[in-house]
Amino acid sequence: MYKRKILFVFIFLTVFAFAAQGLLTVSAQSDNAAKAPDQDLVIAFNNDIRALDPHNVSDTLTISATRTMYESLVKFNEKQEIVPLLAESYEISDDGMTYTFHLRSGVLFHDGTEFNSDAVKANIDRCKDESLRQNRIVKQIANAEYPDPYTVILTLAKPNNTFLNKMTMFDFIAPATIAAGEEKILREPCGTGPYTFKDRVEGDHVTVVPFEKYWDGAPQVASLTFKAVPEDGARVAMLQTGEADYIYPMPTTQIKVVEGKKDILIDAKTSNIMRYVTLNTELEQLKDKRVRQAINYAVDKDAYIKTVFNGYASKVYSCYPETIQYYAPQPPYDFNLEKAKALMKEAGAENGFKLTIWGDNITSEEKGMQFIQQQLKQIGIDVDVMPMEANVVAEKIQAERDKAEVNMWYVNWSASSFDADGAIRAILHGESIPPGQYNSAYYNNEEVNKLMDEALAITDPKILQEKYARIQEIVWDDAPWIFLASDQVISGYKSYCSGIQLYPDGAIDCSKAKLN
Amino acid sequence: MGRYFVKRVLGTIPLLLVISFLIFMFIHLIPGDPVRNMAGREATTEELENLRESMGFNKPLYQQYFSYLNDLVHGDLGISYKTKLPVSEMMIGRLKPTLKLTFFATLWSTIVGIAIGVLSAVNRGKLIDYLGMLIAISGISIPGFWLGLVMIQIFSVKLGWVPTGGLDTWRSYILPSITLGCGIMAILARFSRSSMLDSLGEDYVRTARAKGQRERLVILRHAFRNSLVQVVTVIGLQIGGLLAGSVLIETVFTIPGLGRLLVDSLAFRDYKVVQALLLFFSFEYILINLIVDLLYGVLNPRIRLK
Repeated sequence: MYKRKILFVFIFLTVFAFAAQGLLTVSAQSDNAAKAPDQDLVIAFNNDIRALDPHNVSDTLTISATRTMYESLVKFNEKQEIVPLLAESYEISDDGMTYTFHLRSGVLFHDGTEFNSDAVKANIDRCKDESLRQNRIVKQIANAEYPDPYTVILTLAKPNNTFLNKMTMFDFIAPATIAAGEEKILREPCGTGPYTFKDRVEGDHVTVVPFEKYWDGAPQVASLTFKAVPEDGARVAMLQTGEADYIYPMPTTQIKVVEGKKDILIDAKTSNIMRYVTLNTELEQLKDKRVRQAINYAVDKDAYIKTVFNGYASKVYSCYPETIQYYAPQPPYDFNLEKAKALMKEAGAENGFKLTIWGDNITSEEKGMQFIQQQLKQIGIDVDVMPMEANVVAEKIQAERDKAEVNMWYVNWSASSFDADGAIRAILHGESIPPGQYNSAYYNNEEVNKLMDEALAITDPKILQEKYARIQEIVWDDAPWIFLASDQVISGYKSYCSGIQLYPDGAIDCSKAKLN
Repeated sequence: MGRYFVKRVLGTIPLLLVISFLIFMFIHLIPGDPVRNMAGREATTEELENLRESMGFNKPLYQQYFSYLNDLVHGDLGISYKTKLPVSEMMIGRLKPTLKLTFFATLWSTIVGIAIGVLSAVNRGKLIDYLGMLIAISGISIPGFWLGLVMIQIFSVKLGWVPTGGLDTWRSYILPSITLGCGIMAILARFSRSSMLDSLGEDYVRTARAKGQRERLVILRHAFRNSLVQVVTVIGLQIGGLLAGSVLIETVFTIPGLGRLLVDSLAFRDYKVVQALLLFFSFEYILINLIVDLLYGVLNPRIRLK
């Protein structure tokens, strides 16, 4: 009796296993037909879309959605150059104080009203509200003049070379919608963009349809849906079945599995994301520059990129990636254990010491921290990995300076408007030391601070290049961080999709999207 | 029974008050700052301070609690920090998919679970019993997350029979309902089996058999009905858990339900949403327990509610 039971269970499990195996290996459908099944473009994201108020968005995914409906005076093109959009042209005065924008004529809002200087005024006036995120742009404007319907003259309180970059983030809402209040803005977005709002199911999707009277020609798809699909495996499966035509981000672990199969193509490019580990320069063990340089030499960046990013990251040669303005590459800290050990010895730290590393408790971040732990062990540094929930780390980083406990922080930074100041000020300026900002290396170099502040007031690109290059040179040599890598932004899409632009910050531009 | 019901419902009010206080304190005392999440990392100290002021976070905690309580009494759950939409609207929107999914998952898992349990008990020690318990053990042991992903690969990607997720058509309910119901089916199978075995050993069953009643009647009318009291308790507890949403299943199958909302809101420290959800879950647990208590009386007239 007992044997029979065992036999039965064995047979059952075997049959089950074979059935599952058989189903899993059903041959992939023929890959010839690369024709779009319909004209409804579905883009699957990893997060929920937040508040649809272009003056108050902070995350890239929501920006991608709002950008289908709203536009700014200037924008970045695919080469990361600032080009006119709702402004036909612009001039900057020599002192960098006055910006004159000549508006494009014949541009309509989705409600049929015309885009003109009155509309610009209504938007600037709205953002005088300090609780709105875009107040940080409007705050810089000391005086705004609107001499005629197609000219806007903005005078800054003090010169700021990032102003134009920031204006790429300033979108325009129809004045009537602004007048109707926030509720209306959130529920019935109305801008000048290529798509008009259709519907939103909170937590699920936002759908937009082409705006027939768009000034640059209406998009060619029938509809565009942004869908929140947080699970990596599910997002990839949706791309495989065709329920989604385009997914972002494409998980690096799955690229090899799906690339080239079922008409799936991959687009990977360098991002504006800088990966680094802050080294608390006020800490006894890390005070000496030579120790921090030794740490940089002891970390094998190629191995890091392979281990943590499956190869989908770029090496960095500065404190910010090449996609940011005024980038100046420095001589690399190539993996060199001998040199690292020599530097440790020179600094009198040849016996090593103990450190902690903090970071978010998500798999990829923990993997990164463990990698650093293994690497630093080679030069005698004993690292205790301490993963924590993101909010907990943020709170601990923001401790009062005399109570700071941070040794190393495994983190990343991305400058949303691609300006050099945005890529460094909040994380390397002496005034950005916590609490407040995120300079958790407690790095305070007078020359760097001064150069950063001077540069803000300069408009000449040549001088800016010099100033920012000098900053990068000093920071690189001072090594307040372990300079690790720059992520790649990766999307997966069906071969019948074209015209969809993925930007280095992960924003997606669908104005020229086509389903062939 | 009517008076009992009213008394129990009224009794929940002070309980909910205590719960609301606990939830409020917990969420405000754990580390995290919604203002930072709202303003983004590039925000300056001044910007953060302005936002904090406008959101009322600078007020003492007890004042914030009373203003929350005041809003609550007036039926206002507040506005989400993350979406700027009314929390009540978000919750209703998210409740629908969760309710539908819970209904289908409970429906099939109850029927199949009890059927397996009863069949196993009646055929104790036989092949059917072992098969039933093998299914039950598999149901408990297989992680829903994994099962979901495997089923998506087989039935959506390879065979193309059903969508990978969402709740757009009736076909999209199939995989998530199966995945979500598996665990409950298994638990119910085990419980109804043991409960049924207990009943089968009772004197009244022997008496019924001695009277010469047909075996089917003995099992269904006497043993089965009496075994249901325990089973109903388990179903009640399980439904309570399901209504709180299954984060994993909702994530795997891309369903915008309550569980996902809770986790996302916690990560963002979207206090208003977290408070409203936890209060709702507490209330729903109390309510389901009440319904279960009432059902006892229906199933077993010897149990009288006072």
